[in-house]
Amino acid sequence: MSTRAPSAVPIARRQLQWRPGRTLAGVAGIAVALLLVIALNAIFAGVEDRLTGYIDATGSSVIVAQEGVQTMHMSESALPAAAVDDVRAVDGVEAAEGILYRSAFAEGGTRGGSGVVALIGGGPVPGLFNGRRPGPGEVVIDRVLADRLGIGLGGVVSLLGTRLRVSGQVEGTAGITNSFAFVTRPTMERIARVTGVVSYVLVDAGPGVDEGTLASRIVQDVPGISASTRRAFAASERRVIGDMTTDVVRGMTLAAFVIGVAVAGLVAFSQTLRQLRDFGVLRALGMDAGRAVLLALAQVVALVVAAFGAALALTELLAAVLPRLSPTLVLSIRAGDVALAAAVAGAVAIAAATLPVIRVIRIEPAGVFRRAS
Amino acid sequence: MGRRVPVGRRQLLAEPAKLATAVVAVAAAVALVLILNGLRRGIGEQVTLYLDRQPPVLVGQPGIRDFQSQTSVVGPQAAARVARVPGVADAAPITQGYAMLGLHRKRVLTLLVGYDDGRRGGPWQIAQGRPPTAQNEIVLDRVLAGEHRLAVGSTLRFRGTELRIVGLSRGTSGFMTPLAFTTRQTANALNQMSDGATFLLVTPAPGVTPQALARRIATDVPEVSAQLRETLAANDRSLFVGSFSGALLAMVAIAAAAGVSVIAITIYSGMRDRSGEYATLKAIGLGRRPLLRVVAMQAVTLAAAGTALGVGIAFGAARGVEELAPKYLIALSAGDAGRMALAAAGFALLAGLVPARYLANLDPAAAFHR
Repeated sequence: MSTRAPSAVPIARRQLQWRPGRTLAGVAGIAVALLLVIALNAIFAGVEDRLTGYIDATGSSVIVAQEGVQTMHMSESALPAAAVDDVRAVDGVEAAEGILYRSAFAEGGTRGGSGVVALIGGGPVPGLFNGRRPGPGEVVIDRVLADRLGIGLGGVVSLLGTRLRVSGQVEGTAGITNSFAFVTRPTMERIARVTGVVSYVLVDAGPGVDEGTLASRIVQDVPGISASTRRAFAASERRVIGDMTTDVVRGMTLAAFVIGVAVAGLVAFSQTLRQLRDFGVLRALGMDAGRAVLLALAQVVALVVAAFGAALALTELLAAVLPRLSPTLVLSIRAGDVALAAAVAGAVAIAAATLPVIRVIRIEPAGVFRRAS
Repeated sequence: MGRRVPVGRRQLLAEPAKLATAVVAVAAAVALVLILNGLRRGIGEQVTLYLDRQPPVLVGQPGIRDFQSQTSVVGPQAAARVARVPGVADAAPITQGYAMLGLHRKRVLTLLVGYDDGRRGGPWQIAQGRPPTAQNEIVLDRVLAGEHRLAVGSTLRFRGTELRIVGLSRGTSGFMTPLAFTTRQTANALNQMSDGATFLLVTPAPGVTPQALARRIATDVPEVSAQLRETLAANDRSLFVGSFSGALLAMVAIAAAAGVSVIAITIYSGMRDRSGEYATLKAIGLGRRPLLRVVAMQAVTLAAAGTALGVGIAFGAARGVEELAPKYLIALSAGDAGRMALAAAGFALLAGLVPARYLANLDPAAAFHR
C-alpha cells in the first residue's frame, strides 16, 4: 500500500508509523463507522435467515397458499380443506399435507415469562431434538421459549386459552419476534376455533418431477391458490424484511458515510498538515506533484483499508458474542453486504483524501527552504 | 498566565477546518443516536395507533394478551352474550389481521380492519372519498396510497380478491403497520370465516369503569376474554419495540463509540501536535491541573458543539421525515436532548482520558530538547 520515493524509501508507511497512536485511533474511528453498515446488514440478514428456518426445514418441494399469498410470517392464508385433495390429485404430486398457521401468545412455566409463537397445526416438526412429536392436547416448543418460560418436557403451556402439555423441544426456529410451536391439526382446529380450513399445503414432488414445473401445474389445475417452490417461497419471505428495512439501511449507510468521512478526513488532514514540511522537502528533492499526491492518497487508502478489515473482524466478533447474550440476535455476514461496505469505504477514502490532496498540490517546493532559513 | 491567556480556546480555533470536521463528526454520531432512539420510540407509538382510538375494553378469545400478533375468534353467540352484559353500552365486532400487500413488487405490511358500517372500529378521519360500505371495498392510509400511486377508484388484488379503493384515511400511517379498513364481511370472506369477529370493541355504559366491566364480562361470558385496551397496547408495544431493541441498541452503542473516537482523535492528535507548547507551559511553571483543565475544556467544548449541532440535525431530520416520509415517526423530546448532552459530556471525559495521561507524563525538559 505504500508509495515509494525514487530511492525506494517506504515513505507512506513511515509517515503512518511515525505516530502509531494517532494512526490506530484513526483506523478505529473509521472502523466503527463502517461497522455501522456491516453490522446492521448482518443483523437484518440474520433475521431473514431465521425467518425461513421452518420453511427451509420442511423439505417440501412446493408450498401452496391462498391466491396472492407468498409469505407466512405476519400473513394470513386460508384455503378450503378440500383444496388439499385437489392438490394431491395433481399429476406429479407424491404427497400433500395441509397445515394450519396461527400466531399465538404462549404463557406458563416457572419463570412467569411469555412469548409469541407461530403455531403450526399438522405437518413435519423439524429440528426436534428432545422428546417426541405432539399428540392430542400436546405441543412442541422451541428451546429458546422453553428456557424463557422455564418449562421442560411434561410442563404445561397456555396457548389461545388452552393448556397444552409439552411433548418435545425443537431448536433453530426462534427469531427476534417469535419462535415456532407445533401441535396436531385437530388440536389446532379445536383451540383456534377453525374447521374446514387450512392455511398452507406442503407438497412433495414425485421422483424426477421438477419442482418449478409442478408448482406451475398446481396453479393451473387448482383454482384460487398460489403455488411456489420452497426456495421461491423462502426468498419471498426473506424479502419482507428487506422491503421493510430498506429505508433504515439507507439512512444508516448515509450516517456511516458521514461519520467515516469525518473521521478519516480528520486524521488524514491533520497528518497532512503535520507532514507539509516533509512534502515540501520531497518536492524540492525532485518528487513531482503527482507522486506527492499519490503519497498522500496512499496514507488515506491504507487507513481506510485497515479500518475495513478491522470492521469486518469486529462484525465477526459481534456475530460470535451477540447470540450468547441474546439467542435470537443472530448475525449473518453476506458477500453483498460486505461489498456495500467496501463501496462505502471507497467513497470515504476518496472524500477524506480531497483536502489533503489539495494541500499537497499547493505546496511550493522552495517554501520549505525559505521557512527553514 | 493560565488565568489570562485562553490557551485551550486558541488551540482549538487555530485550525478551524479541523475543528469543523471534528464537530461535524461528533454531531453525526449524536444525531444518529438520537434518531435511532426516536425511531424506536416512534415504532412504539405507531404500533398502538389503532388501539389508542378505540373503546377501553376489548373482548377476544380466551388467552389473548395482545391485539396485533395473536389469533382470536369470537363467535356470533358469544358476541351477543357480551352485548347483553349489564354495563355494556356497545360491543362492536371487528375482524382484524395483518395484510401483506404486494405493491409495486414490494411486500407492504398493513393492519387490515374489517368493521360494520356505522359502528366503532373504522377510520376516524377520511381525507378523501368515503368509508367502505359494500363487499370488497377498502380504505387505505393516504400516505401508503401516495407512496404507491393509488387513489380513490384504484383497485388492488389481495389474496385473490379485487379490492376497490373507495377512500383514503388520514392519521393512520405507520412504518411497521399502516392501517387499512374494509367491511367485516369482506375481511371474514378473505379469511374463509363464515361469521364472527376477532375482537369486540366494548364501550362501557356511563358510570361503569373499564376495569369493573372487564371483570363482569369475564364472569358472565367465560368463553371470551376481556382485556383493558391499555394492557393490550402495552403488550403490542413491548412485542414490536422489544423485537428491534437489541439491534437498535447495538447500533446506538456503535454510534456512541464513533462519537467517543472522534473526540479522542481530535484531542489526542491536537495534543501530540502541540506537545512542544505543553512542555513549554509545564517548563515555565504551569501545573498539571491547569493543563488537564485545558484538555478537559477542549474535549467538553468539542462535545458540546457537536451535541448542539447533532441535536439540531436530529430535530431537523425528524421534521424533514415528517414532511417527506410521514410513515416514519421519529419521536424526540427535550428530555432526549438533555440526556444526550449528559451522555456527550461523559463521552468527552472518556475521550480525554488518554490525552490526560499523556499530558501528565510529559517531560517539561522536552521543551528545551526541541
